Amino acid sequence: MIDFIYVLPLFFVGLGAISLMIVSTFKSVTIRKGSITTLVFLSMAFISNLYNLNTGDEVYSHYPFIDIFNKMIIVDTYASYFSTILILGAILTILIGIHYFEKHKEFTVEFFSLFLFSVFGMMLLVHANELISAFVALEIASISLYVMIGFEKVISKRIEASYRYLVLGSLAGVFFLLGTSFVYGATGTTTIGTIGDMSLNTFATNMNLLIIGGTMILITFLFKIAAFPFQNWAIDVYSGAPLPVTAYMAATFKAAIFGFVLRLFIVDFDLIRDFWDDALVYVIILTLAYGSFLAIIQKSLKRMLVASSIVHTGYLLIAFTSISALGESGASSIIFYLVAYFLSAVGAFGLIAYISSDDHLRITYDDFRGFAKIRPYMAAMLSIFMLSLAGIPSTIGFIGKFYIFTGAIEAGNTILAVVGIIATFISVYYYFKLIAIMYFYRSAEMTNVPPLKGVAPVVIAFIALAIIWGGVGNTLVAYFPGVDLLIDMAKLSYESLFVG
Amino acid sequence: MDFGILSIIIFLPMFVAFTTLILPFGAKGTRNAAFLTSIVIFALVSSVYYNFELTGFLQFREHYTWISSYGINYSLGIDGFSLIILMLIATLIPSAYLWLWEGRTKGYWISMLLIQTGITGTLFSQDLILFYFFWEAMLLPVFMIIGMFGTGNRVFSTIKVTVFTIMGSLFMLISILYLGVSFFNEYGFWSFSLNDIVQINNLTRTEEIWLFFGFMIAFAIKIPLFPFHTWLLQTYSNSPTGGVFLLSSIMAKLGVYGIVRFVMPIFPELYKEFAPIFVWIGIFGLIYFGIAAMMQVNIKKMFAYSSASHLGFIVTGIFSLNVFGMTGAAFLIIAHAMATGGLFLLVGKMEYDLGIKAIPALGGIAKKAPIFTVFFGIMLLCIVGLPGTNGFVSEFLIILGAFGFSPTAGIVSAFTVLIAASFMLWMFQRAILSDSGNDVSKMTDLNKKEILGMLPLAFLIIAMGIYPDWFFYKIEPTIQHYLLDILQIRN
Repeated sequence: MIDFIYVLPLFFVGLGAISLMIVSTFKSVTIRKGSITTLVFLSMAFISNLYNLNTGDEVYSHYPFIDIFNKMIIVDTYASYFSTILILGAILTILIGIHYFEKHKEFTVEFFSLFLFSVFGMMLLVHANELISAFVALEIASISLYVMIGFEKVISKRIEASYRYLVLGSLAGVFFLLGTSFVYGATGTTTIGTIGDMSLNTFATNMNLLIIGGTMILITFLFKIAAFPFQNWAIDVYSGAPLPVTAYMAATFKAAIFGFVLRLFIVDFDLIRDFWDDALVYVIILTLAYGSFLAIIQKSLKRMLVASSIVHTGYLLIAFTSISALGESGASSIIFYLVAYFLSAVGAFGLIAYISSDDHLRITYDDFRGFAKIRPYMAAMLSIFMLSLAGIPSTIGFIGKFYIFTGAIEAGNTILAVVGIIATFISVYYYFKLIAIMYFYRSAEMTNVPPLKGVAPVVIAFIALAIIWGGVGNTLVAYFPGVDLLIDMAKLSYESLFVG
Repeated sequence: MDFGILSIIIFLPMFVAFTTLILPFGAKGTRNAAFLTSIVIFALVSSVYYNFELTGFLQFREHYTWISSYGINYSLGIDGFSLIILMLIATLIPSAYLWLWEGRTKGYWISMLLIQTGITGTLFSQDLILFYFFWEAMLLPVFMIIGMFGTGNRVFSTIKVTVFTIMGSLFMLISILYLGVSFFNEYGFWSFSLNDIVQINNLTRTEEIWLFFGFMIAFAIKIPLFPFHTWLLQTYSNSPTGGVFLLSSIMAKLGVYGIVRFVMPIFPELYKEFAPIFVWIGIFGLIYFGIAAMMQVNIKKMFAYSSASHLGFIVTGIFSLNVFGMTGAAFLIIAHAMATGGLFLLVGKMEYDLGIKAIPALGGIAKKAPIFTVFFGIMLLCIVGLPGTNGFVSEFLIILGAFGFSPTAGIVSAFTVLIAASFMLWMFQRAILSDSGNDVSKMTDLNKKEILGMLPLAFLIIAMGIYPDWFFYKIEPTIQHYLLDILQIRN
């Protein structure tokens, strides 16, 4: 019974996906009903997940149904923490996107079924404790996303984005499988933890094979998070996708991928991780440089946000290389930064999705001319998101960057920290440009601005408040989580990787 | 929890700003609220000034945990050096508000209030991360006020100054983080508090030099020191009056303050070692910006350069490593803030009335606006350093300090002070006094509010010039503490 409680979040999301698939054939199920059902299932998953997470200061690690699954699934503080992020991301995406989905006729209830399947895949991925199950989970998430990207089938760039992602994503998946077989060849197992134990035994294990396998898996990882040199798909795919899906991919999917890879590299490749460090330094520098370059030259706001997400990938990789014996804060800084980036990105993408759905279309920077006069409230929120993405103090983005750069310096990677700072500095330009355009110019159109309606503005305001609170909040307000708690939580979840 | 008086001084303007933002206050209501706030803060600051004890140590300390896992605290305190800058801010802001009284929008007043929170927060912070926090946060309202209410190519100017300043402060951030990590490596727990950071011993010389310059770049850009001044001209000439007033008279001084507060205690050895470089950079700036100012036709640009020129002189003072130079620098911070701030307000009015800033298009204003001319003259003579104004006292002290540092520096700086005299008086003669035949009939004289706003500045300029001891005694123990305890110089 206790095992069942541990897998309840997964169960609810999976159940929701299947039941939505079944009812989607009925005409009477509208988009609104579909999205509300999705939200109900996600909320149940969220609550049951909080139960798993809320263990006080204790970290735990547990294999549910061990005689059936044989350590394929793990439930620990770490996975529960990531599940919280993922479910929250899904909930926010639906809440902000509901308006968009209703306005665009192509969306049907199957979309929500696919959406829940992708959430299920991502959650399974962070709970996976075995390489083959991880691959299955990754593909569940990816295939759902391929379809979600191309769901508006009347728009040709959606189809193109979907197809491109399908072909390239599958290719990247192949690397993962190949890597897995190498790892299996070297160690005779695919279970995380056991691989690590085997790698300690250098007589029995062919380290070269293990390193090759690890490299293959790393390639898939770098592809999925759009790091250099595997970043080229990102701009077209992300900007070809419907905006809520873009938000979902940029923020939530990235967290899931990191969730799994961190576990693999921290637990299993502890001994050989240094092997990739030199190469990763170049990957990071090029990712930051290329991402910044792309972000500067974009005219479309959506593409700029996508390009800048590559830069944020670079920051996360800085923390990734800083995971070492020297720096204990490397891993937890990734976990924290994922939350910080996730909030800002969901907010920014979601806001643009919301206003483009019934306002007239806003795509390029110039479309936002004088936006502050037309919609002062939305402009203020968008500014907060931009400030957080740029890492200006008083937002959670600053604390995230503080954390990552401190971790990098602690691990002796001061050069990387400096490179990251330079990228941050460049990012000030393209983020502040939007604020400048919104506030400092007059707009041509002032007539009949439709009033804000629906739940999205409230959710957006909530995210903006969370960003500010994450930047300045402290433990002074009793029973309310501040920055401190988030950082402690990230540390706890990191520690739980070493339990059991 | 109970907030201390310093926290109230920091956050009251922000609180008022957000309250007026949310509630349906009009421009006038916001203005009245802002003015009232500045008066209340002046009263609070006066009580701080009165209760300040004559020691060189931090007082009015407040300390709360903020991010405990990294030892980041909300930690405030002031010493004599902060005290005089605080007093300066509290005096200048109500005066400026009286000048900006008419015709500003709600956004303008809210920005002004937020800037005030930023600058006082920067001034009180005793924790490096908290300092950085305010230092950067202060930038946002400045960004908005220049971009929304500036003139000319305001958007470009505001992005330029923002990008420049952030570049500097990001280098400082790296240095701060590096110091924090070094402290952790040496002592085994995290802290970014200034008291702890100064105890770091495990840095190599190379590391220290890098970190030293990481801090110095941030402050040099803010001041601005040569060669980091390229943002200055455009920003000052395109800013709205309120913005340029705060930038020149207060925010530039915070760069100097940062050097004294952080660079000096964290790197005392390097501070002494590199002092000659900065003394000479300061003197060079004095000459370079002085000559640049002489060449300007636009009166606002001329003041921008003259301001930079004097800031160079202040830097000379703080690096002169003796009590004269440092006291002089502290004194010049006040004198310069009042005179330059006053001049920018006066020029702002002239620009508003006549719509011109070029010196050849002016002239004959003295007849139209005699009171304006009197105040203009007082401020100007203070900048020139006429005996009887506090400008004289401070320049004299810095020159003495430079002499103490090296006789050559003393002689050069004594002569270069003449540059300011030459271009200022020449401008005064051309733009205000002489009758050039230009049409300046739209120029109006000061109204009651403007006179009321200008009076405290003029009074202080003269009072501090005639009897400087009233003001010296508060800061003297602090300067002694800097020299004897921190830099360990005995002369």
